[in-house]
Parts: sequence; structure tokens; C-alpha cells
Amino acid sequence: MRFALIGNPGVGKSTIFNQLTGLGVEVNRYPGSVVALEQGNVCYKNEKFEITDLPGIYSLDGSSDEEALVRTFIEERDAACLIAVLDATRLERNLYLLLQVAEYRMPMIAVVNKIDEAERSGLTIDTQRLSELLGVEVIPVAAQQGKNIDRIVPAALVSARTPGVLTPYDHHIEAALTSLEKTLSTPRHRNLLALQGVSVDPLLRDSAESIGREIEQRHRMSVHQIIATNRHNFSRHLAAEVVAIGERTAPLDLDSLLTRTIPGIPILCAILVFVLLAVFVIGSWLEGIIVAGFAANVIAPFTALGLPPLPAQIGVSLLVALQAGFGIAFPFVFIFYLALSSLEDTGYLTRAAFLADRAMHRLGLHGEAIIPMVIGFGCTVPAIMSIRILKTRREKTIAAFLITMIPCSARTVVIAGIVAAFVGLLWAFSIYLIIFVLIIVSAIFLSRITPGEQFGMIVEMTPLRRPQPALVLTKAWIRIKEFLFIAMPVLIVTSIALGLLQYSGIIDALQGMVAPLTMSLLGLPPYASTALLFGIFRKELAFETLAVLGGTADLGSVMSAVQLYTFAVISVLFVPCVSTIAVLYRNVGARITVLASVYSVSLGIFIGALINLLMK
Amino acid sequence: MTIDPSVREDFLEAIFILARDGRRPLLVREIAAALHRPEGEVLPVLKTLEENKDIIMGGDGGIALTLQGQDLGMRVVKKHETLQCFFSEILGMDGPSASNEACTLEHAVSDETINRLGSYLKYSPSRLQKDTEPVGGTACPLSALTDFDEGDDLVVQRILGQERANRLLDLGVVPGEHVRIKRKLANQTLVVQVKGCDVALSPEVAASICVERAP
Repeated sequence: MRFALIGNPGVGKSTIFNQLTGLGVEVNRYPGSVVALEQGNVCYKNEKFEITDLPGIYSLDGSSDEEALVRTFIEERDAACLIAVLDATRLERNLYLLLQVAEYRMPMIAVVNKIDEAERSGLTIDTQRLSELLGVEVIPVAAQQGKNIDRIVPAALVSARTPGVLTPYDHHIEAALTSLEKTLSTPRHRNLLALQGVSVDPLLRDSAESIGREIEQRHRMSVHQIIATNRHNFSRHLAAEVVAIGERTAPLDLDSLLTRTIPGIPILCAILVFVLLAVFVIGSWLEGIIVAGFAANVIAPFTALGLPPLPAQIGVSLLVALQAGFGIAFPFVFIFYLALSSLEDTGYLTRAAFLADRAMHRLGLHGEAIIPMVIGFGCTVPAIMSIRILKTRREKTIAAFLITMIPCSARTVVIAGIVAAFVGLLWAFSIYLIIFVLIIVSAIFLSRITPGEQFGMIVEMTPLRRPQPALVLTKAWIRIKEFLFIAMPVLIVTSIALGLLQYSGIIDALQGMVAPLTMSLLGLPPYASTALLFGIFRKELAFETLAVLGGTADLGSVMSAVQLYTFAVISVLFVPCVSTIAVLYRNVGARITVLASVYSVSLGIFIGALINLLMK
Repeated sequence: MTIDPSVREDFLEAIFILARDGRRPLLVREIAAALHRPEGEVLPVLKTLEENKDIIMGGDGGIALTLQGQDLGMRVVKKHETLQCFFSEILGMDGPSASNEACTLEHAVSDETINRLGSYLKYSPSRLQKDTEPVGGTACPLSALTDFDEGDDLVVQRILGQERANRLLDLGVVPGEHVRIKRKLANQTLVVQVKGCDVALSPEVAASICVERAP
């Protein structure tokens, strides 16, 4: 039997989900959907129940991936009970979604969470009365304290009911719903959606469209707007019945600091720099341990086996891929996710989006895009995965291009390992400078040529709160699993393919073929092209391969400072790694993936040639 | 002599229009011509208007509106124009009958109704069509959220732009809803409080939300 949690973002669904299920969380995807569904199990009276945590949404009528997914989920009706989670401190707004869910006539219960927080701010909620009004069981819960969590599953099991509440709509809408129901015998919730232009049934869509147009003309308002206003007014009416507002103690308003230009922006910069430094310092320390440990304990014994050359080559490639995956995934990506999930959990990210909105606007994006951009400094893969939050195709495209250019932690390794170590620290910083300039120039260029319009930022500022370690850990864990799920297969396949190419001598042939180009255009030794090629597999590999092929770890002795600098710049810009290509393909499609990859390769070669030309 | 309020309004309207056209001081003859009435009928009414302190009659026969008279005259003219616009543009009546009908109704209609009718007319059908386009630079014909300052309490009147509107509607920014500007940065990015929640908005989004000051 399955239950599903449904609610607005930030109502504490995840906290409840976590408390009910513990850490054994599975991430599932509907075919064709990019949105992940979290699933877990809960035991009650020796029976196992499945719980699905649906993504947080504000409405069921929209066209975003999340909203469509939740709609499909409810329509499939394989949940025995929908558990609507409401935030007691924002009851009126939360009832809006509940009223929409109620249209689906599914058995449900309601959970009013954060009842403790509401009490602290002087709000008393009459859950008994709310239950009468909605016609479903209502449980007051304080999930952070674990209060009444144990009542949820029994209630879902025993007292799930089809809600008695129905929003009274404007009489034109009601008439339209009745006539659609009579003529096409389609259910009310589908007619409501169809009136707002969301329908797969062509007959229903056409009839609804013509009725909708008539209503729109009469009201001089879109049908969606009429319906939304009706629902909001009804939820206000419901909330007024059950919420008593008492003495309110003004809470400490951190926002008076965080959302002002001063000191908000310095705080934002400090937090970002701190996160990146922490990720880099802790990450590279862990990476060293993992990579060395793996090399000594797994790869070395394997090579010592003395297998025939072909299986040995395949085996080594496989192990190197695993080493790369775990070597990046755990140290950098996981730590980055930990930091990010805590920032997210505190609600600070929405403040960051607010402050960064204008700066992002100049790059053809808007405030919310700061999140993928920041993630990009840790690892490009999760950054690309998170561009889903951007609303228009245009913004997704621009963000995809820019994020592939942002120096991720692996590229920082290249810059540090090659340039900082052998050329000079200032030169290393100059690479960052070059990249930032290129990013800004590309952004301005892209925002001119990319079709589509800008959506602008509409973000609910989630209330600030202390992060909960368990929740942060689960979130980070789910994300790292998703990362491994996407990146690992690609890494393994590419690694084996490259291994085979090398084994068969094709790589050497290729290296020979491009050698004139490498030498004359870029001024690099022939083997640098192979090193660059390996870089697409894992960025630090460019550096490591260079050391192997150069025959010494002291790169300064085999290549000149200009050569090293050129190599670093190219490998930092050159093609996003294969894992990035894989997620790009998943999130923005083949065309943009190819374009972004080709763009970064050409940019890398162009800038490399330019540096070679200027500094030789 | 007491006069009917509608007569007073008709007179002040006529004088206001004449005065607006810049021909001052006005003569009794001119006013009579504008009202299509004989001078003999007009003079006693003007006397009464002077007693009411609506107009001032100079010794040389020149007539001017007082502040009070000007105010009333202007309101009647506005009512007339709004009604006439509604009758001809929305109901499709021909010019003269729209004007005649407006002449009758202008005395009975309240300021409130005229204000609402006025803002309704600002979104004439052609305009409405433009609004529902996928928005780039549509601006609020009335005042937009961006025109107000931090701490202002406002009421939403209308949201332009379909796509964006949907997300705003979901968050409770619906016509008639009270919102308050909680933060406004120098670059016009703002945070509004609606239904107890804070929502951060880009300037281009805020500019598409038409509001008026809360009563």
C-alpha cells in the first residue's frame, strides 16, 4: 500500500518524510521526467507501507515539470491516501493547494505542520473545525519535535476520506464545468484544467477552449485568474474560520541584515567564498586519500596480477573510472552538497537569489540562476542538473553554456597543479580572470542571440531556520546517489573506450595526426593532445596524464612556462567532462549539448592559440 | 432662487469647458450659446451660482469659476467623458446618442463608479490583447508595484502577462489581494509580503503587477 505526501515547498514535507522513513530512501523517476520522486518505507503493526514524497509545488494547474509529475501521480491513483501537508504559519496560502487536490476526489488526510511555530507567533489553529470544514481528518504536527508524527500513518490507514470540501467558483465557471461534465462526461478536475488550457483530450480541449474564451471576454480576465481568485478567496474564508490571531512576539528579523544591499551583499560574498574554500580544502584532502588509497589497494594489486594485455587494459580502465568517480564524487561533490543542502535548509539561498537578481539579469538570467552557478564551482554535473529550476528554455540554454565554463573544483586542481605550482600563483589567478571575462562576454553574447524571453524571478523567501543535520545529510546523500547514477556509467564506458583506443594504437595515431596542429598552433608537445583528450574524462586527468606522458612529475623541466600556461587554459576551457555531457544531454537535449561542447572546445583552442601567439 | 443640482452641474460643466479652452473672461452670451439657451434664462441661474460661490461675476460682465466651481465642473466633465467613451467604444453607440445619454447620466452617477469605469476602460479590448502577449515590456497603465516604496500597503488590481501571472496567482498575488512591500533595493528588486509569505520579485515582474494604495 502506498501513501504520498503533497504540499507547498518548505512546509516540512521532507522532515515528516524523513521522520517516517529514516534513511532508507530510494529515488525514482517517471519515464521521461527529470524530476525525482523520493520513496521510502515505513512499518506499522508489522506491515510495510510505501511513502512517496512528491516534489513541493504551489499549484496543480501549472505546466512546470514538478506540477505535471504530481498531476500524473495523482491521476494514476495508485496511492491509497494522499497526505496533504500544510504549514500552520501560512495556512491560508497552503489551503489553496489543498483545495486543488480536493478536486481530484481522492481519499486523503491533512497534516498541519509547524503547529509549534504558529503558537510561538501567536496563531492558534482550530484543527477540529478545519477537519469539519474540509471533511477530512486533520492532524496537528510539530515535525521538528517529532510531535504527533506517529499519528500520521494510522490516520492515513483508517480515516482517509474523500474530502467533502469543494471550492465554489464563479457561476460562469460552474456553468461551464457542468456543461462539460454533461456533454463529455469528463470529471470535474479535468474540466477545470481544460478550461485553463491544460488537457490531453483534444475534444475536451476544444470545447473548453471555446467556453473559456467566452468567459474570458465576459470577465476580461483569464480563466486561470478567475479560478485562482475564487480559490484564494475560499481559502481565506476557510482560514478565517480556523485561525485565531493572538499576541505576536516579534521574532528576531535577520532579514533586515540579509536582504539589504549593505551588509547583505558582503555577507553573500563571504558565504560563497567560505563554502568554496571549504569544499576545495576538505575536498582535495579527501581526494588525495581516496585516490592514493584506491591506487595502492586496488589498482596496484590488479596490475600485479599479470593478466594478458587486453583484459588488463580493460580492467585498469574500469578501475580508473571507479577511482575517478569516487575520487571526485565523494570528496568534492559530496562536501559541496553538504554545504549546499545546509544553505538550502536554512532558507538562505532564496536571499542570495534576491540579492543576485540584477547582476544575473545582465547575464541574461535572473536571481534563481545563482544557485546552479554556485553549484558549478563545486561540480558541473549537479549544477547542470539544477538548471531545471529555471523556467524558460532561453535561461536554461544560457545557463547550460555558462555553467560548463565555470571552473569546477576539478579544473581548480589543474590550475593549481600546473600553473600555481610551476608558473606562479599570480598566473594561476590570471586564469580565473580570463575565464570570468570569457563567461561574462559569452553571457552578453548569448543573451543577445538566444531566442525566447526572460521570465524574471518570482521566488518565495522561505523562512530562515536552523538546518537539521539529518535532513541535510539525507538530501546530500540523495543527490550524490543521483550523481553517481548518471556519472558512473558514462565514466566507465568512456574509460574502457579510451583504454581500448590506446591499446589498439588509435590514440597514438590520432596524436600523430593532430601533432602539427598541437605544435604549430598551440606550441605544445605532441603528447599534450592525448593529455587533453583524457581531460574530457576527468579534468584532473589532463594534468595527471601530462605528467605520465611527459615522463616526470616535475612538469617545469619538460615544458616551458608559456606551454604550461597555455595547456592549463585550454584544458580548463576545453570540453566539459563526459559526465557533464551526459547530464547536459539529459537536461537540455542533444542540440544544446553539442553546441555547448563545440563552443567550449573552439573557445579553448582559440584562446590557447591566442596565448601562444602573444606570449611566444 | 434655488436651482436643480443637475442645472448647476450643466452650467459649471459648460463654463469649465469654455474656461479650459482659454477664452476668459467669459461672457453671459458665450455661456448661453454653449448651453443652447436664451440669455434671459441663463442670467438668473448665473446669479444663483454666484450666491453659491461657484462663480465670480466681475463688474465688466466677465465670469470666472471659483475653486469650488472649478472642482465640480471638472468632475462633471470627467463623468461625461468617461460615460461617453463607455457608450461609444464598448457599447458601440453612435457619437450624438452616446453624448446625450452621458449628459443625462452624469448627474446621477457616483465618483466611485466613474473611477472604476475609468480604470476598466483603460484596458480596452485592444489593450487587453496586448497584455496577454507573452510579455516583454508591457507596462501597467495605472501604477505598478515598482512605483511604490518599502513599507507601502497596496492592493493588487491586475497582473499583466499570462505566463508570469500564473505563478504569481499561485502564490496568492490575485486581484484584490493586499500586499506590502517589505524590501526594495536601489535596483528595484523587491520583496513583497502576501498572505503572510515573503515573495522576491525581479523588477520586470514587479512592473507587471498593477496596484493601488490600500485604503
